[in-house]
Amino acid sequence: MRNAYRAYAAKRLVQAVVVILLAYVLTFVVVSILPGDPITSVLRDPQNGFTEAEIQEIVAAQGLDKPIPVQLWTSLCHFLTGDLGLSMRSSRPVATLIAEVLPSTLVLASAGLAVALLLAAALGYGSQFLPKRFGQGFLRGFPALFLSVPNFVIGLVLIHLFGFQFGFFRVLDPDSVRATFFAAIALGIPVSAQIAEVLIANLDHESRQEYAAVARGRGLGPTRLFVRHLLKPSSLPVVTVIALTIGELLGGSLITETVFGRTGIGSLVQRSATSHDLPVLQAVVSLAAVVFVLVNLIADLVYPLLDPRVKLIGDHRPRPAGADESAADTSGAVTP
Amino acid sequence: MTVALPSSAWRVTAASRLAVLRVPPAVALSFAVIALVIAWSIVPGLFTSFDPVNGVPADKLLGPSAAHWFGTDHLGRDLYTRVVYGTASSVESALIAVSIGVAAGGLIGLLAGFLGGWVDVVLARLVDVLLAIPSFLLAVIIVTALGFDTINVAIATGLSAVAVFARVMRAEVIKIRQATFVEASFLLGGSRWHILSRHVLPNASRSVLTLAVLRFGLSILVIASLAFLGYGDPPPASDWGLLISIGKNYLKWPWLVYAPAFVTIATVLSINRISRWLRQTA
Repeated sequence: MRNAYRAYAAKRLVQAVVVILLAYVLTFVVVSILPGDPITSVLRDPQNGFTEAEIQEIVAAQGLDKPIPVQLWTSLCHFLTGDLGLSMRSSRPVATLIAEVLPSTLVLASAGLAVALLLAAALGYGSQFLPKRFGQGFLRGFPALFLSVPNFVIGLVLIHLFGFQFGFFRVLDPDSVRATFFAAIALGIPVSAQIAEVLIANLDHESRQEYAAVARGRGLGPTRLFVRHLLKPSSLPVVTVIALTIGELLGGSLITETVFGRTGIGSLVQRSATSHDLPVLQAVVSLAAVVFVLVNLIADLVYPLLDPRVKLIGDHRPRPAGADESAADTSGAVTP
Repeated sequence: MTVALPSSAWRVTAASRLAVLRVPPAVALSFAVIALVIAWSIVPGLFTSFDPVNGVPADKLLGPSAAHWFGTDHLGRDLYTRVVYGTASSVESALIAVSIGVAAGGLIGLLAGFLGGWVDVVLARLVDVLLAIPSFLLAVIIVTALGFDTINVAIATGLSAVAVFARVMRAEVIKIRQATFVEASFLLGGSRWHILSRHVLPNASRSVLTLAVLRFGLSILVIASLAFLGYGDPPPASDWGLLISIGKNYLKWPWLVYAPAFVTIATVLSINRISRWLRQTA
């Protein structure tokens, strides 16, 4: 078992490194091959007022005059040593730009994840223990509803109701604790839907098991049954789903930050996109891929340790029991 | 016994036909919503008599009423009219996006699953890499490289969904390729092309189509988000996401946000309900 785990861990580690490197290459290729020339669209933009000599200097400094494979190789080498290049717009190091706004996004994303987990747990509890004819079916419809609402709409509704009507937070002070709380709700609600769908499917599966019937027969109340018996086996597979929603959290923070007027990675992406600052965009997208791959690597490595029932067969990654094809389709990112 | 067989077989098909026809009311309502949305996108002029671009300045920021169902915007334009005229580009973009995803993703998945070997290894790795990049960020970087307009938003949304289609198609093809009837067809001398076109594609297409319906709803959301961020056509275009984005500057008149948001949510909810129904009956 121990040896099998080591082999599995080594294999997943190598796989993760390969995926990260290829993700960088892929974004680089997307940026350089797609039509649309960053040099003409940014540097020759009359609003920027660069002279022809300055343009030549910037092009040479960024290595934009070299063939694309050479550019890719130098850029990849720099990426591996932690050098993310210079912003085309402000000529400041991209790493500095990202480091400045990262803490704010980390706060928002972790608060959003916390909201998503709490909401998913509440939906899971309600899906099992609310009276069948009163509320249970209604509650089970929530994940489907959450998946149909654009998250900027949730943000705007929260701003309109709690910012303007009730005055719970000041819209002009987006970094305050209260405003962050509401931004986290807007970010967390769509994410909670994906977690809740898998959690509810697992809870349904577990509550049909014999041990649940025995526990009920011993006279355990719904809350004790939920917390002591059902929650643990049902939420283990959810670990994998949570890791997969990281991409959702990163993408969602882009919109949530714009809606709430926060500064962060999202607003940096938004600014760089509107000014065609491709080096910044490429760095953020590659870093997002790194975060996504690392979080999923950790989830996959921790999972067999948490759940002794999981067997490591070949190179198949541990698969949540309840994550059938339907749940996988909606999350849209479960690898087989 | 021989007499009973055909009649029982007939009964089974009749029963399954009835099961298909027995549509739950929620699904019937969803189909009605989608029919209305399609009608809006094809003949918007039939549903409203107002002009979507030129407004009446004196009538600006009126609340919802019998004359203006969704109220009017800051330039005195009827918001219901703007929503109806914005349907075409919102829905068409989602259709383009899903077509790109089905075509490109389906081809990648088909090649990987059917050919196997090193082709499968290379393509499966490519799909893994695509899945590692958060799809919304991928769409943003593609639309930035292509330039901001609604058609590029549709292309970017489609490309960011390629990996999901490829994964499902590959899994289906591998599953079907190992089925006994494919083996039988091969032993009867069926060529690769024959097996592919007569057995693999028809059987794989069902789950890919179900996924396509689901991704159609999701694409409407992604395209609305990209339009909301200002990557689509600028005003006076009236994509749903753009309408909400304009409305957010006038939150004192909340129907400017709530009305287009309601239409978007109702559409996506209907599509998702239909997709779930297809998955249950299929």
